[in-house]
Amino acid sequence: MDDDDYWNTSETKAKAFSFDDDVLSPQEILAIGQRSYSGSKEEGVLSSNISSVKPAHIPLSSLVSPKILDLMVLAQSGNDPAKETKQEPEETVAITLKRLVLGRRCSLHVHRSLKSKTELLDGAIAIGDGNAILTVVLFLIQTLNRKVVYELLSSRPAALGHYISTLQSEGKISELTDFLTMLGRSPDSAIYQFQHAVKNQGNNLESLLRKMSNLLANHFNQPGVDAHQTKMVADYVKLLEWQNFAKKTELNNKSALQCLAYCCSFHWTEGAGNMMSPLTLCQRQQISPLQYDWVVLNVHANSNKWDIVESLFTKKDWFGRTTVSSHIPIETLLSRLSELKASERMLASCVNKIAGTEDRLRLAQKYKIHSVVIETLAKQKDRAALTNYKMTLNPQSEEYIYAENTLRDSSIKWKN
Amino acid sequence: MEPLQAKLVSMCLISQHKLEKILSLCGDKSDLIIDSALIKPLERICGVTWLRQHGVEKIYKMDPQLGPTVNIIKVYFIPACIQKYKCVLDHISSQLSQKPSLADLNCFNIIIVPKVLHTYDSILESRGMHGVVKLHSFSWELMSLDDRLLSLELPFLFKQLYVEQNLSLLSSISMSLWSLFHVTGRPKCVMSLGKLSSSVLDILEIYNETYSRDFVKNYSSDEIDTLVLIDRNQDYASSLLTPATYSGLLSEIFNISCGHLDLNVKETKYKKGKLNFTADAEDTSKKVTMTLDSSIDNLYGEIKHRHFSEVLSVLSSKAKLLKNEDIKALGIQEIKHFVTTKLQQVTLFKQNLVNHVLACETIISEMNNKFENITFTESEMLNNRNKKSNYSFVDENFGTDIHMYNSLRLMCLLSLTQGLSYDEYNTLVNKYLLAFGYKFLYIFNNLINAGLLVQPSSPKLSLNISNLSGLSDRLPRWQNSFQSLASKLKQLPSQADNSKTSPSYVFNGGYIPLIAIVCNALLTSESLSEALTKLSVLNDLKLGGSILDNTKEGMETLNEKLSNLKLQNSELDFGCRDAKTLQKLLKTDPKLTSAFSLKTKSVLVYVIGGVTYAEVAACNVIQTATGSKIYVASDCIASGCDFMAANT
Repeated sequence: MDDDDYWNTSETKAKAFSFDDDVLSPQEILAIGQRSYSGSKEEGVLSSNISSVKPAHIPLSSLVSPKILDLMVLAQSGNDPAKETKQEPEETVAITLKRLVLGRRCSLHVHRSLKSKTELLDGAIAIGDGNAILTVVLFLIQTLNRKVVYELLSSRPAALGHYISTLQSEGKISELTDFLTMLGRSPDSAIYQFQHAVKNQGNNLESLLRKMSNLLANHFNQPGVDAHQTKMVADYVKLLEWQNFAKKTELNNKSALQCLAYCCSFHWTEGAGNMMSPLTLCQRQQISPLQYDWVVLNVHANSNKWDIVESLFTKKDWFGRTTVSSHIPIETLLSRLSELKASERMLASCVNKIAGTEDRLRLAQKYKIHSVVIETLAKQKDRAALTNYKMTLNPQSEEYIYAENTLRDSSIKWKN
Repeated sequence: MEPLQAKLVSMCLISQHKLEKILSLCGDKSDLIIDSALIKPLERICGVTWLRQHGVEKIYKMDPQLGPTVNIIKVYFIPACIQKYKCVLDHISSQLSQKPSLADLNCFNIIIVPKVLHTYDSILESRGMHGVVKLHSFSWELMSLDDRLLSLELPFLFKQLYVEQNLSLLSSISMSLWSLFHVTGRPKCVMSLGKLSSSVLDILEIYNETYSRDFVKNYSSDEIDTLVLIDRNQDYASSLLTPATYSGLLSEIFNISCGHLDLNVKETKYKKGKLNFTADAEDTSKKVTMTLDSSIDNLYGEIKHRHFSEVLSVLSSKAKLLKNEDIKALGIQEIKHFVTTKLQQVTLFKQNLVNHVLACETIISEMNNKFENITFTESEMLNNRNKKSNYSFVDENFGTDIHMYNSLRLMCLLSLTQGLSYDEYNTLVNKYLLAFGYKFLYIFNNLINAGLLVQPSSPKLSLNISNLSGLSDRLPRWQNSFQSLASKLKQLPSQADNSKTSPSYVFNGGYIPLIAIVCNALLTSESLSEALTKLSVLNDLKLGGSILDNTKEGMETLNEKLSNLKLQNSELDFGCRDAKTLQKLLKTDPKLTSAFSLKTKSVLVYVIGGVTYAEVAACNVIQTATGSKIYVASDCIASGCDFMAANT
């Protein structure tokens, strides 16, 4: 298909995920694709070759000349060319930097004055090769005293960043802390230590709890640390303490919502005040009503306890009709209920909560809540639409009969 | 296949040659112990038979618990990741402690992709293993994953370069370009956008200066006029938005590595990132892999860039054709002919068709209910409309169907486009941590470091500003820096002007990726001057390449450049120079006239830090509209999820 055709047929693109009626369903395509051919017994043998269909290559010799190929190998290895084994007569800053960038062996120790050390650092930063920057920084740390190094680094953020990144990835966390404290960046130090701790402590409750309490008391209370960040660490400690009480290894270092899901499954009936009660955990970790509803819905629906779901999310109104009441916004609730395969009755009471007739009809159709579609169309006295809708239903099904009966209802004054 | 494409595909032979040289240094009869992340890329370079022919006897997957292996000579094969490196050293140490005599046998080798860093040497020395273990750099070449799509397949680069701001591996990008240009010739014009890009060009120039003087004549390319290098953080929006193209959505749902898609319809990226309220069922289904390469799978080539809403109808029309062919009655001779000539093709086609339909079904079932709402909200954010309802959409998402990565994407996009107040920010952080664990508190700091998230100042600090905010609300249509830049570059199509040829379709009509804008400016201009005028709002633009060769005063070596470097943090301008300064010089320096009259007909655009399938599709639109050629290259092909996962 050429490109003009492409753009001509792209009208549908504005409406995502809508398909022509003429289009075969995925199942139909699959059926055609999987139908075997007459005389295709070799299929199994052939299909094993399928993935190995590889394009033919141009021979290496016509791609690049042998000399260039040697050069590429040389560049990769970072070795000196064979004929240049003798050392360059004078190691200038530029020569050293160039050798660093090329990955060649070089001795930084010829640079002894602070001036040439500074030039090395600035040159490496200017080139922007992290490997060279880091090599120079580590050389400075080896050969200068801390105060001088820190002065050099604190005015050069790029060099500083590389050093911090290395200390972090090598796990030298106490060095990193000292360094950042000296620079007056204790808030950064707190979060780096936090990251290091959670990545390395594993899920051992005792040591996590000790580590976090210590971080909270000694690092997250420093001036300059964001108050909300501190609160999060404090909440972490609270949750770890709760997990310590719960003594369930499968809950160790799990999230608050995961713990809540556990409590909902196994301690649903326990009242507030009891440590394992979902309500206690909710209060303790300040889980929002929305998140609480979401967890409760999913846990109970997944274990098929629809009675609980219903009793929680529906209530009878003055006229004895059931209506849905939840912190989950109604469209989201509807979509989730449908995914969880809730009963049509449940879905119907949910969609009926939507005030706008158009919206209600659209969603009822989307989630195939037939009774609501039929009732809404009847209320609109739209016989044509209802007749059309009936055609899409399975004949003899309950909803088909309901639609038919509604159409025959003489009390409705149809508008068409 | 066109000649250049054939060359690009064949570059794996150069990688093979480089590996061969390394293996020949390791010695015969070796055990290859490979990190699992490198298996797929290695398969693109060589097969098991080839490895056998080059001294590898046994192959093991690297695992800290790996027991003794058969052969004396060990060749470890790992990516440049310090934890993995240390793990290998531990592994070697434990073998040495059991059998100290191994130390003298010269038998331990570690091949590190893409290069050995200086710190690796120091670690080796500090552990007393210098001389016992040999380190080898293996810089494989760009891999041709699909038509005009190249990738270095180093998926850990984004994390290092942007999240950790560690540029240690940046030179690997330069090296990949240096090699590439030996195959394709050098582009006449080189353009960089962003700090990392200009450093890549500076380092590239060091390679050129070092290796070209002896015998390499680097010819200039007929097939690639202009190279555009661009930093990922110049256009984060494109990496955060939900794609609407088929290939884009595939990468949202499935794991793709090295152009191979793992068609796991049960455990999708969508499902894995969500809170799980049910017991895990063990996945026992057969593994199906799809190769996302149009030269192998024509059908994929036809649908990869399409808006997803069209894909099923294309697949269904293909199926109908197949059905018609099926009912033809065939004679014996015809069957023979069919079996020998067409059967394999048809079988392959059928298999591809089935796989694409399965993939489509999965995309629909996972996204159907959400796609429209999400892309609508994203578009509202981009245009700075209805901040309140956008925030409540994100807040609801965090409170209900929260996703480990996709929810963060929404938060980042909102933060970059419309901003988050201190309270809004903290509400989202709190919900996220309740759902996935307080241990992830550090993610937000990483996102801030990477520039994906803007940290709102705490209310105490912003007291004075809050008085002013009442005023700014009354000012006519306040725009933040995102919208002002995006609208100057015409990245935000107005709804009236939603023409069908707009590349914005890749984000459901909401946004045009920056690389498409830059390519379009270059390819629709009569001269470089004109293109630069169109792109004048971009501040970090620099120029280099052979067009500027005759503007250099004498020989400017690195040495001279460095000695002229006076102020701290000043730019080196070795491989490229500031575009605005050059434009000013144009008036006085006639030598520049010819340089700026270059008309670009083909572009190689190289994104540093990962490119998305949606961006590739957008470039394809420009390519078609201008009748030109655009090659897209990057260190990896990533999805929005991957950019978020890099912060964990």
